[in-house]
Amino acid sequence: ECSDLKPPCPYILPCLHLSVGLSVCLQESSSQTTKGAKSARRKRLKPCSLREVEVTVGELGLGYDSDETLLFRYCSGRCTARRRRNYDIALEHTRRAGLIKKGRRDKVQYSPCCRPIAYEKDISFLDNNSRYHTVQEVLARECGCA
Amino acid sequence: MILLNLLSVLVLLGSVCVVCVWGHGWREPLDCVRALELCNGDSQCSSSYRIMRQCLSGGARDRQTMLAGRECQGAIEVLQDSSLYDCRCKRAMKKELQCLQNYWSIHQGLTESGEDFYEMSPYELHEFSEEFRHASIISDSSLSKASPCSEPGKPCNPCLDAAKACNLNETCKRQRSNYIAICNKLSQPSLANQEPCSRKRCHKALRQFFERVQWELSYPLLFCSCSDQACAERRRQTIVPACSHQEKHRPSCLELRRACRSDALCRSRLADFHTNCQMTGHSITSCPHDNYHGCLMAYVGLIGSDVTPNYMDSSPSNSTISPWCSCRGTGNQENECDAFLRDFTHNTCLKNAIQAFGYGPEGSVLPVIESLATPFPPIQPPLNSKPAPSLHANEIKPQDSTCVFSTCANLKDGEQKCIPSNDFECEEALLAQGSKGEEGRAQHSAAAPGTLIVRECVSVCMSMLGLLLQAL
Repeated sequence: ECSDLKPPCPYILPCLHLSVGLSVCLQESSSQTTKGAKSARRKRLKPCSLREVEVTVGELGLGYDSDETLLFRYCSGRCTARRRRNYDIALEHTRRAGLIKKGRRDKVQYSPCCRPIAYEKDISFLDNNSRYHTVQEVLARECGCA
Repeated sequence: MILLNLLSVLVLLGSVCVVCVWGHGWREPLDCVRALELCNGDSQCSSSYRIMRQCLSGGARDRQTMLAGRECQGAIEVLQDSSLYDCRCKRAMKKELQCLQNYWSIHQGLTESGEDFYEMSPYELHEFSEEFRHASIISDSSLSKASPCSEPGKPCNPCLDAAKACNLNETCKRQRSNYIAICNKLSQPSLANQEPCSRKRCHKALRQFFERVQWELSYPLLFCSCSDQACAERRRQTIVPACSHQEKHRPSCLELRRACRSDALCRSRLADFHTNCQMTGHSITSCPHDNYHGCLMAYVGLIGSDVTPNYMDSSPSNSTISPWCSCRGTGNQENECDAFLRDFTHNTCLKNAIQAFGYGPEGSVLPVIESLATPFPPIQPPLNSKPAPSLHANEIKPQDSTCVFSTCANLKDGEQKCIPSNDFECEEALLAQGSKGEEGRAQHSAAAPGTLIVRECVSVCMSMLGLLLQAL
């Protein structure tokens, strides 16, 4: 899960993406209760890893009409602050200092994202019109914070 | 008096069974790679082998005259006493091709014409699959009249379920994707007008799929039972027939067989199919030894060879199975051609086996029940109806057969005859006595002629048991 630009998280603290357009920063709070709630939420979010879900090929939205079921593997989870490279820190700092201008056409992300770092070569299936298809790079094989 | 009778029968039964099962040591047939190594260690054997190779090297006509020659006959005589004579190969063994080549290099010379209509399988007898049997029994008891579609509301497609099961398994998914990608890949544009795909590579990938994926996952893709056309079409598509099965040119079946026999692997798989799926009137299932799984294995073994068989249409219940060939215009050989083709298109054993697999209980349990009701047929002749004579004379060794046949002869004097089949029972009884442990079991599973004897032996035991029950 990637951090959004808004709200900017303080240095070293990762961003928690809650839903579309809403993110919160994970940080120590003064209030005891919110601290408990937030650390619980943080605990719930597992580190970046490979997940899987059973779907039909048709449900993948790649334009194939097939009822064949497969295991869709994807990457999800938290990328810890420790994984932040100097690049991320430098990017964040220059951005904050106004050295990189904010603009609609410019979007920067300064914490690592949980993304596939290797894909399965290909997956083959028979569609509902009895035609075979082979599609590349549909399933994640390995995940990492990039 | 009755008690005395009972006691004597019991004692007899016990002794026969013990003698049958442990009395003689059946031996594991040597594999033909090892057999040739042994032969090469013996100067007489190795020189005879070399002579034999030369005798077989000429064309079909030369071969006949060559083989009839004194030198070749002498070599054959020596080789018949060697370990090469009754060696066998195992499916998917290391150096399988080399083993099969060794096998044919001698057996080609041993049969009279070198090419019988049916040839003996160079493979060891297929084991009865306990899981296959148990699976069908379990589904029988839990769902009684189980149809493959038990989920209400959902459209039923067992072939689609089979694809799902395969996709959820890493090896199956990878191997399936692999052969589909290869078989479905169009050739280079420059060659586009010749072949739609690389048939050779496709066949190889298919063989690899069926070799490396456990049958519990691969067979349901091929033998799923269908009630509608969409399902049957999916089943027909399993082996990507556009590449692996169909061709522009449809050769005569005899031509196809000739091509197959020039290749050691194809020839072996075809012989194995003929051995294990041969229709026989001596068993209820019409399969040799009522062994459905053996027939399905042999059928699957043909996929990826020149005689790759497949469903010819997408009829859900009554689909014809055939290799890609025809008997039109075969002239005076039409009868022979038809006979060859009918072993695929009109094979009750194969049909029953496929149906039994698809429906679980339907075919595999029923015949066993029926066999109890029908009068006992006479003892079953070994495997083929038309075997290579020289081979079969030796298949059952004299010292082995004493047990089976003398006992049967004695029984025949009474009103009861031997039970030839009921192999499942036999197998079970044998395993139940498995106090000999792993060693005994390994020997039993590996020995080809040996297992045959043991089955007959146990059959005798079972028939005696029948006697006993009747006395009660």
